[in-house]
Amino acid sequence: MKGDWEKVWEEARERPVALVDCRQEIPCNPCEEACRKGAIRVGEDLCSAPVYDPGRCDGCGRCVALCPGMAIFLLDRRGGDGQAEVTVPWEMCGEIVEGERIWAVDGKGKVLTEGKVVKIKWMGGRWPTRLVTIRIPEERALKVRGVRFRENSVGSSEEVDQEYDLPEDYPVCRCEDVSREEVLKFLKMGLRSLTALRRSSRVGLGYCQGIYCQEQLRKELGMVTRRSEEETGMFKVRPPVRPVKLGRLGGVNG
Amino acid sequence: MDTGQEGRMRLPEESCTLVAVGAGPAGLCAAREAAACGVRTTVLDENDKGGGQLIKQIHRFFGSREHGAGKRGFEIALELAEDCANAGAEIRLNHRVLGFFEDGRLLVEGDFIYVLEAKAVVLATGALERSFPFPGWTLPGVMGAGAAQTLVNVHGVLPGKRAVLVGSGNVGLIVAYQLLQAGMEVVGILEVEDRVGGYEVHESRVRREGVPIYLRHRLLAVEGLEGVEAVLAKDLEKGTVKRFHADTLCLAVGMIPQAELASMRGCRMVFVRELGGFIPWHDGDMRTDRPGVYVAGDAAGVEEASIAMDEGRLAGVAALEDLGALSPNEARKRKEELKRRLNLLRGGAAGRPRAMAKERLAAGWRHR
Ligand SMILES: Cc1cc2nc3c(=O)[nH]c(=O)nc-3n(C[C@H](O)[C@H](O)[C@H](O)COP(=O)(O)OP(=O)(O)OC[C@H]3O[C@@H](n4cnc5c(N)ncnc54)[C@H](O)[C@@H]3O)c2cc1C
Ligand code: SF4
Ligand code: SF4
Repeated sequence: MKGDWEKVWEEARERPVALVDCRQEIPCNPCEEACRKGAIRVGEDLCSAPVYDPGRCDGCGRCVALCPGMAIFLLDRRGGDGQAEVTVPWEMCGEIVEGERIWAVDGKGKVLTEGKVVKIKWMGGRWPTRLVTIRIPEERALKVRGVRFRENSVGSSEEVDQEYDLPEDYPVCRCEDVSREEVLKFLKMGLRSLTALRRSSRVGLGYCQGIYCQEQLRKELGMVTRRSEEETGMFKVRPPVRPVKLGRLGGVNG
Repeated sequence: MDTGQEGRMRLPEESCTLVAVGAGPAGLCAAREAAACGVRTTVLDENDKGGGQLIKQIHRFFGSREHGAGKRGFEIALELAEDCANAGAEIRLNHRVLGFFEDGRLLVEGDFIYVLEAKAVVLATGALERSFPFPGWTLPGVMGAGAAQTLVNVHGVLPGKRAVLVGSGNVGLIVAYQLLQAGMEVVGILEVEDRVGGYEVHESRVRREGVPIYLRHRLLAVEGLEGVEAVLAKDLEKGTVKRFHADTLCLAVGMIPQAELASMRGCRMVFVRELGGFIPWHDGDMRTDRPGVYVAGDAAGVEEASIAMDEGRLAGVAALEDLGALSPNEARKRKEELKRRLNLLRGGAAGRPRAMAKERLAAGWRHR
């Protein structure tokens, strides 16, 4: 990969070239389909990482727009003035205009430098992607994976009391309002099956038909019975699987 | 409404050759195969649009050309629905299947409630978002990540201003990104494991936007009076508790195959952790242990849209073969090609455990 990027760096002196940053095994090959120059190959094995030859790339940008991982970028160092133009795919809804200043960030979201938007181009089918080209000092260029307007992330949190006590009286079954406490009480009484729990506590008998609570109950049961999920089984499913007005079953429309 | 001799109510009845339940990628592809072969085919879906999960996906999809890769999810949904209808299948939207009885008949609610009988039924009912109870989980503002995605991408409504996501799998990463696209702030993604669950490329996309991913953090509770005001999480490394100010909490902690209809029909259900939970047992051609009942897509194990499409096609071909509408030779050829593709799709590190689970199902899981 290192060698690849050196090659990209060199080729980018002559023309814009793609920088492909996709190393994982993902079942995906639109980059190969996009490239008319045969510069990117995934081959028969869909999950293999793309193999890229910068020597064949003409910098058309099609792969940048079509890559679902947004993992392809363009590098252009033709200016030769220590500045580089980097193109990234941009899918945010907001406005972005030429001339604007924006942060260039690496793959972890770290701000590398501030740059100027020099070109915006829509590409990639009926619902295209914006390709945003920014100008930045070239020594940062290989690291750029995106642009954003905020310098810092919005994440912020405060530490709270270490001994935070969790209440146990929250509902496990939201439809019938059965709390975890109650379920534990029935387990203590010796109930050992989903059906028994359902009959005695009404857990899982509500509107959602046990969709939300079933996994939790299976887990709680498994802990006391040491039975596997398959052994514990599922709630018996009865029609209707969706709520339906009785009148409609009786033939009344509406 | 017809009342029989003894004054008993009878529901209207209808019949058809092949029915696909669910108009997601799996159901649409199964139905297309069948209809293209001249078989009378009906697709039922409770939604008002065809495409299943895909109608709310605005990102470009992985896969290869046969799966519409590089296009956006909703674009693929439109194309699949069009292909299916063009092949001659009837797609009935706003039709909910309420029951699937042991005699093989379906109870359906459309404009009215009716009974539908079919020689072959492909269950392609997809998956449900997993949820789990914790203090505060019933407060408004707590929702599945997919529900948040439906709100912003289908209904054009923001669920709130500041969101915390739980789970860093592909769904969590993609939905975090789409909430940003819609104009929300994403305070962070909580992940209980020590590494990100989804693909690197999806992780990088959200990190570029400045969204922190908190590894080894466990969701404890949500605080608030009328709705979510703060999210509490435990830092499992340090043992401390953090409070995040947010008005929305999205759970992206996995999907559960939605296969109640198979269970009601009497199909043998097996628990396969790698595939998301209880699924109807099925062979390598997507046949369940009940004659004429097939399963495909997320209902047969939670995977990806591209896999759902090819599993749907496979179920369609198997049904055609069993109906005698395809020669064994032709069926074998098509099945081989689809299985080759499915193997490729499950070839990566993320797919291999699922490939092995499917193999185990096809090989020996049959008899208890
Ligand atoms: C946020 C998110 C992002 C994703 N991104 C990707 C991605 O990038 N690439 C990828 O390959 N996959 C992706 N997936 C997964 C993909 O969407 C699913 O694997 C795929 O849609 C499964 O198809 P399906 O046909 O099995 O089920 P679904 O698409 O879920 O369709 C099932 C259909 O059945 C209908 N139905 C269910 N029960 C009934 C009933 N009783 N009566 C009538 N109709 C019923 C439902 O209304 C639904 O339309 C994503 C999923 C999510 C949630
Ligand atoms: S930029 Fe164009 S020529 Fe270069 S790799 Fe991408 S698609 Fe091929
Ligand atoms: S299209 Fe993008 S994500 Fe897919 S294999 Fe190519 S580079 Fe990787």
